[in-house]
Amino acid sequence: MPLGALFDESVARLAAAGVDAAPLAGAGRRLVVASANGTTFITTRPSDVPTYVEAGAADVGIVGKDVLREQVPDVYEVLDLGFGRCRMVYATAEGEDPTPAALEHLGAVRVATKYPRTAEAHFAATGRAAEVVRVNGSVELAPLVGLAHGIVDLTSTGRTLRDNGLVAREEIFASSARLIANRVSHKLQARAVDDLVSRLEAS
Amino acid sequence: MAVDGEAGPAPATLPAGAKDVLPVEAEELRELEGRIRAVAAAFGYREVMTPVLELAEVLDRAQEGGVGPAFRLFDDHGRVLVLRPDLTIPVARLVATRLADHPGPVRVAYLARVFRPPPAGRAQAAEERQAGAELVGAGGAEADAEVIGLLVSALAAAGLGDARVAVGDVSLTAAVLDGLGASEARRERLRSAASARNLVAWRRAARDLDLADPGRTLLAELPSLRGGEEVLERVADAVPSAEPACGRLARLLDLVAAHGAGEAVMIDLGVLRDWAYYSGVVFEAYAPGVGAPVAVGGRYDRMAGRFGRARPAVGFTITLERLHRAVAGQRPEEAPPRDGVVLVGGMDDDLAAARAMRAAGLPVVALPTGDERAERLAAADGWRWVAARAGDGYRVLDRASGRSFACDELQEALPSPP
Repeated sequence: MPLGALFDESVARLAAAGVDAAPLAGAGRRLVVASANGTTFITTRPSDVPTYVEAGAADVGIVGKDVLREQVPDVYEVLDLGFGRCRMVYATAEGEDPTPAALEHLGAVRVATKYPRTAEAHFAATGRAAEVVRVNGSVELAPLVGLAHGIVDLTSTGRTLRDNGLVAREEIFASSARLIANRVSHKLQARAVDDLVSRLEAS
Repeated sequence: MAVDGEAGPAPATLPAGAKDVLPVEAEELRELEGRIRAVAAAFGYREVMTPVLELAEVLDRAQEGGVGPAFRLFDDHGRVLVLRPDLTIPVARLVATRLADHPGPVRVAYLARVFRPPPAGRAQAAEERQAGAELVGAGGAEADAEVIGLLVSALAAAGLGDARVAVGDVSLTAAVLDGLGASEARRERLRSAASARNLVAWRRAARDLDLADPGRTLLAELPSLRGGEEVLERVADAVPSAEPACGRLARLLDLVAAHGAGEAVMIDLGVLRDWAYYSGVVFEAYAPGVGAPVAVGGRYDRMAGRFGRARPAVGFTITLERLHRAVAGQRPEEAPPRDGVVLVGGMDDDLAAARAMRAAGLPVVALPTGDERAERLAAADGWRWVAARAGDGYRVLDRASGRSFACDELQEALPSPP
């Protein structure tokens, strides 16, 4: 279970699909909670969800497509859950886009991001050179103080970008929450996984 | 060990993904290898060994795009060498060239190591111990069944009685796509979705084909179809032209059952790895509690011809570290002390006694006379007895019972292994 933006909707979707997710609501700060019917929930940072599932510490997990694109974990991406919709964008400061000038004069555009792999892949695929700077929080700051020409980040309403005087220039991909499954659990617990998928699809 | 603030030599670390194997693990790995080797021998598979270094231009012939990630280096003529990242390819080369005159079928086994640069940020070993078998020069389902039967027997002999083998077939998948009239461009999308294990992208690509039911639903669900013979019936019902491929897989299930491995095997049309390299049946073996397959395998009829004599081939590879992890969970926590004696004086004054007991098959760990580390050494390495000269006879400590006793002749007091 991803803590943060996807958490409440994930619990609601599981409950709607008939999964006993009630213990999660009262979990407080506990990281592992068990339900009466034998399901154990692990709550963790979204970016750690693929790690737990890939290693088989969790059979299935819910995580944003943004994290999957960035980490490329060896797991089955089983279902698009449809919620948590947002866009991965390249954004720069309002006014004239500094990107073409940077490419022309400096040879490369400097991009700050929490998603270095995604950013590198995007600029490589569009035939441009980028110097990707990895930052861990408040990416919006980077173009304002001259650390970078632009940022690659996730946005849902665009509010944070606007508040910081940034404009989305390019959309890289659309993201939403996905159900992922461990390679082995997908086979050894085929019925349980399929059952969960069909109930989530129907809900 | 250096304490904070204290100068000491820099830690002697290993490259990323490398690890040492200490005696206990080494013993357990060798035990697993021994059991797998015995099963392979019982099926008539004979061991071969290939060089660790091969010419990159030769191994790269194996499949479109070459052998993929590998450690590469130059020889003194500037030719690119590769540390073998896989054993199926070198063994296929060996059989196609060195055993080209063999009447066939050729049955070979291997127990060796492969080397792969670990992906950044992943806890993945750069070196992997593998055990595998290849059956070359035999086409049909009966060859596939023998190899799967051998795999299940080998895993069971290694202590993994509850392994499951998921079997798919890239030729069946191709037959379904042919039957549904999928164009090459569409296939490419499906292929890349399948190799990324992205079922969401697969379903989207399948939907974009604009098919009518039942083909439409079947294709969307194809990589999620897992189960028994009913899966094959469903495919054949929806895509009649795939019926021969389904029939072949059904026959394989019957033959595997006759090998005594029916319980372990299930159909799984989501096993679609490496389309370029495999040409028929593909399979993966799973152990409960291990998050990645303990073994993978399949049929690769087109590879041998790229090296020399073209012959159909099928085989598997067990990743020993994963198998070890799967069976290590089943071992008792505290192993009893192993049979063997730490003999004080066995290095100098009492060499005759040491030689006699070794000849009788009992391990003797020798120390010089007067060495006081005997008991600590026995505890560290898990040996059962500690013995030292006392008067005309010996004083013996049995660590299994914790009791000490005196005896005249060690060989009479300590049971030799059967």
